[in-house]
Amino acid sequence: MPQVRIVAKNFMDMVASLPTMKLDKLYENAFICEAILRSLPPLAKKYVLQLLFIDIPVTAKSMEEWVLADGFSKHKVAIDRLIQLRVLSETVDRKKDTTYRLNPMFQLNIQKHIVHGGILPREPMPSNITVRIPSLEELDAYAIRQWECFLLHLISSGEAEKTTNISPSMMKVFQRGLLSQKDDKEPPMLTESGFQFLLMDTNAQLWYIIREYITHSEDRGVDSADLISFMLELSFHVTGEAYNVNTLNDIQRSIIRDLADLGLVRLQQGRKDCWFIPTKLATNLSICLADTSARKQGFVVVETNFRMYAYSTSKLHCEILRLFARVEYQLPNLIVGAITKESLYKAFLNGITAEQIISFLQQNAHPRVAERIPSVPENVTDQIRLWESDLNRVEMIPSHLIDEFPSRDVFEAACDFARECGGLLWESSQKMRLVVKGESFPQMKEFLRRQKQ
Amino acid sequence: MGNGDKGRPNKKFKFSNKEEHKEPVFADDNSYYPEDNDDDYRDGEGKKRDFTKLELKLDHANRPLWACADGRIFLETFSPLYKQAYDFLIAIAEPVCRPESMHEYNLTPHSLYAAVSVGLETDTIIAVLSKLSKTKLPQEMIDFIRASTANYGKVKLVLKKNRYFIESPFPEVLKTLLKDEVIGRARISNEGMRGNDVFTVSKSLGEIEGRHDELLNEAELAAAAEEKETHSFEIDPAQVENVKQRCLPNALNYPMLEEYDFRNDTVNPDLDMELKPQAQPRPYQEKSLSKMFGNGRARSGIIVLPCGAGKSLVGVSAASRIKKSCLCLATNAVSVDQWAFQFKLWSTIRDEQICRFTSDSKERFRGNAGVVVTTYNMVAFGGKRSEESEKIIEEIRNREWGLLLMDEVHVVPAHMFRKVISITKSHCKLGLTATLVREDERITDLNFLIGPKLYEANWLDLVKGGFIANVQCAEVWCPMTKEFFAEYLKKENSKKKQALYVMNPNKFRACEFLIRFHEQQRGDKIIVFADNLFALTEYAMKLRKPMIYGATSHVERTKILEKFKTSSDVNTIFLSKVGDNSIDIPEANVIIQISSHAGSRRQEAQRLGRILRAKGKHQDRMAGGKEEYNAFFYSLVSTDTQEMYYSTKRQQFLIDQGYSFKVITSLPPSDSGPELSYHSLDDQLALLSKVLSAGDDAVGLEQLEEDADGMALMKARRFGGSMSKMSGASGMVYMEYSTGQKRPGQGQMKSKPKDPNKRHHLFKKRFT
Repeated sequence: MPQVRIVAKNFMDMVASLPTMKLDKLYENAFICEAILRSLPPLAKKYVLQLLFIDIPVTAKSMEEWVLADGFSKHKVAIDRLIQLRVLSETVDRKKDTTYRLNPMFQLNIQKHIVHGGILPREPMPSNITVRIPSLEELDAYAIRQWECFLLHLISSGEAEKTTNISPSMMKVFQRGLLSQKDDKEPPMLTESGFQFLLMDTNAQLWYIIREYITHSEDRGVDSADLISFMLELSFHVTGEAYNVNTLNDIQRSIIRDLADLGLVRLQQGRKDCWFIPTKLATNLSICLADTSARKQGFVVVETNFRMYAYSTSKLHCEILRLFARVEYQLPNLIVGAITKESLYKAFLNGITAEQIISFLQQNAHPRVAERIPSVPENVTDQIRLWESDLNRVEMIPSHLIDEFPSRDVFEAACDFARECGGLLWESSQKMRLVVKGESFPQMKEFLRRQKQ
Repeated sequence: MGNGDKGRPNKKFKFSNKEEHKEPVFADDNSYYPEDNDDDYRDGEGKKRDFTKLELKLDHANRPLWACADGRIFLETFSPLYKQAYDFLIAIAEPVCRPESMHEYNLTPHSLYAAVSVGLETDTIIAVLSKLSKTKLPQEMIDFIRASTANYGKVKLVLKKNRYFIESPFPEVLKTLLKDEVIGRARISNEGMRGNDVFTVSKSLGEIEGRHDELLNEAELAAAAEEKETHSFEIDPAQVENVKQRCLPNALNYPMLEEYDFRNDTVNPDLDMELKPQAQPRPYQEKSLSKMFGNGRARSGIIVLPCGAGKSLVGVSAASRIKKSCLCLATNAVSVDQWAFQFKLWSTIRDEQICRFTSDSKERFRGNAGVVVTTYNMVAFGGKRSEESEKIIEEIRNREWGLLLMDEVHVVPAHMFRKVISITKSHCKLGLTATLVREDERITDLNFLIGPKLYEANWLDLVKGGFIANVQCAEVWCPMTKEFFAEYLKKENSKKKQALYVMNPNKFRACEFLIRFHEQQRGDKIIVFADNLFALTEYAMKLRKPMIYGATSHVERTKILEKFKTSSDVNTIFLSKVGDNSIDIPEANVIIQISSHAGSRRQEAQRLGRILRAKGKHQDRMAGGKEEYNAFFYSLVSTDTQEMYYSTKRQQFLIDQGYSFKVITSLPPSDSGPELSYHSLDDQLALLSKVLSAGDDAVGLEQLEEDADGMALMKARRFGGSMSKMSGASGMVYMEYSTGQKRPGQGQMKSKPKDPNKRHHLFKKRFT
């Protein structure tokens, strides 16, 4: 089973890792060029704009002159990034002089953008055709609901109320690494990564899922570059406006249905037309996926007596809290629980670390306690860490017990030998027994065999 | 050692198994109390309560609380309505925990009884609760409130002009009472009024203080202020005790509230005493007194204030309001002295009007009214007394006391209460305590023997207000040394386990380090507590500090305490558990606890109480003031031993009050060397062999003889050594109670129902 490393790597890293051909194709889309430009570090952004109307290669030397000596490391990072994204192409000539120039496609698109101004990927539908357009609040609520419903399905919780249209095979793809199943009879269990996944914030989770979605797109016969370009395009739509589904091609239409299940868009059926409304999750894609610092409001209050009060109506939150705390009361808008040694041990056994729990509690601290320093009482965080370190006090070393030595001499020689090779764990000269590490046992055996001769 | 500290196992001791067989009724009662419910409600997901279906009100954000069908109430402390809601909840419910942001309360029959007795009516309770609630009140809760308050607080026993009246606003209740043979016979009928259905009708004032009214709308307010009609009939003073008996929950179930119309008592002589002008009760003291004197009469009941928050001023204030003879009961001779001192300090009472009655000092007051301060044991003592004390006790018996003031009601076993209350005749009883820890059924007894809980202060609020010290609590983890731990694990040392973990050299060094740090760096005054007498002596001798334990004479105790208070040479004293309660040492601000009585939550709170008396300037102490912490409480525990488990248990009460225990793992600092004792292995081994060679009984717990007169009682009690004692779940008191019960013929209420069918109907309902 492949171990999935969950890192909230940013979207553009993924773009950067696309093969050259695909990447070049991506830049044919003006929105991608804009999105890429937005995602760049400040200095790199400046270089792009500075080079935008220069049509000949610029030497590395002259570019280095643009920065002060102490800014060189930033310069290096900016250049590396631009090369990674193939925005800059690097050429080394015979004299070993390095020159750079902008990707022509990229350059052209950005030039156009600057000269003619930005255009919308598609026009919103006029309001006389669309009906029942949700308000922005409703749309936000919808997005969160969809996302949570999806997550509940993802962790195979029975708590999910609605069904999801995501195909089981795709769900399996998402679950890979997050859930594990020993055999078919047992319900799947969350893996260590799965727990960590649940403790991450929504943007990071979304990113993980989107990444999986893109990575496995080829299995479904969808080109990953198409997918990426559509996703980025989507982020240039206006939240809350309705867009006609007919403006999409077939691939995009199948994608948009999946995205509706994730809560990125809302689909509505009019009398004649069908339209999609991007939610905050979609329009934040290019921003959030580059940088996951957008904060949502916290909801958890932890008290010095290890009791935990979560202002939430979300079943998902309840499931998450249940991972490391004991939920005692569920009220209409409050979940009451307690962090206990037992509940934490359960969490530790499942591979969640004390630091993850603490940072989850801190990141999600209710505004009432968030300004307080520390937002989670010190005695609670200390205790969580202590309980964790308590579990780590005992170290297991595979080892062998050797006894029944023919004579004290042999025993002592064996002890010395074991000590020499660093494998001696314990000895009792009275009973003539010793314990050696498993790894040095073959050497010991060899030694003892030699002694016998 | 597997997962580390096995000494702190997760399983809960079912502490009262043995007692349950003996006292099925009490065991059932227990489950009403949150702490005892622990076992259930902390047992995990099985019992989680899902109340998500409750209907949320539209403006729920403005309302401060949630109420659950099982009686649990959650209160947001940051709500603008917090103050009102807190006052209301504390009157109707038992606080479970009160940390900073969210409080939890439990509605219980007893708490509702208390609510009714301070004048809240069923409909008011329901109306206010539903106003404050974010959700629609669950029907179960409304039913529960109605059922619990149906009978409680309906009948009052009032002593007016030395005639006893049974009073009630509900004539039909009086009729029910009169149907009872005993009560019917006890009634004194006025001439000209024949027949049982005519009662004297009078008007009495509604509650003067309308704290809860502000929550009601104006119409309701008008109704509350209106005078109420009460019906009453007179009973024969000789029959009062019998009538009271008949009204208890196990008989007619109309427990009577006792009120004393002291202003109209012309028979008992007045005592000329006033509060001195400098005695300014603090807001919470004022509040507790207003609960007691809410309707112009004196109610019997219990007031709960943290140690050091000025309980004695409340007691003295109550006595000077009633202005009649007062009998004040304390737990030991030292606190008798302190009470006498408090009376003189706060009130204008003259020296000859106050007297102490202990085994050492047998004074008598002059004049026809006065204050007597004595101990529970002196009054309850059943054996032979000296001629002199016999005379005094006779006087106490014969006098009609205006106020019976009982200090530290939580430590006194129920049977002793019954005895004291049966011996003395008093119009009003006021119980004072800091820790009404509900580990046994004793609260039931207190409810009916003294009266309901009138007021309970919130510790954290008092800390924030700067009225009590802001204490930094810490649990210091001391790893056992290899040699000590090896001995600890041996089966043959089972009786020495305690001595071994208390004498753990690492603990000794941590203790020595802390003493040095606080003495030298901060100039603090330190109390070191040790329950284990062997350890107490060893520590005190090695560190050359004075110590006080059970056998220290009264004179010597006073001398040591005096030195500690005044001299700069004596900054640390070692106390055994004699120091737990009511020894007032305001100078101390650091406590180091090296051994303790198993898992007793009460002891922990009481010990903390020794340093709670506020220190320094008031403004520094207020929230945001100069000093964050001005008192320190260290509990030293040897890791991987039983102590860890006990320690968690002990801290529960304080944690529920909002205190947090910081865990310190690195004391003494690793760079400390031979300047602290037992640095070398040889010293440690010498100590170990000393512990091992001491006799088993020498290293056990201290045998405490509280006061000369009562020793027979105490001795028999302290050494039960049952499971409940080991776990500490029951605390010392439970033991005292159960042994007390075994003595036939003790007290008046021995006829507690043992048959589950006779159980109080409310209790029964919950357990079927």
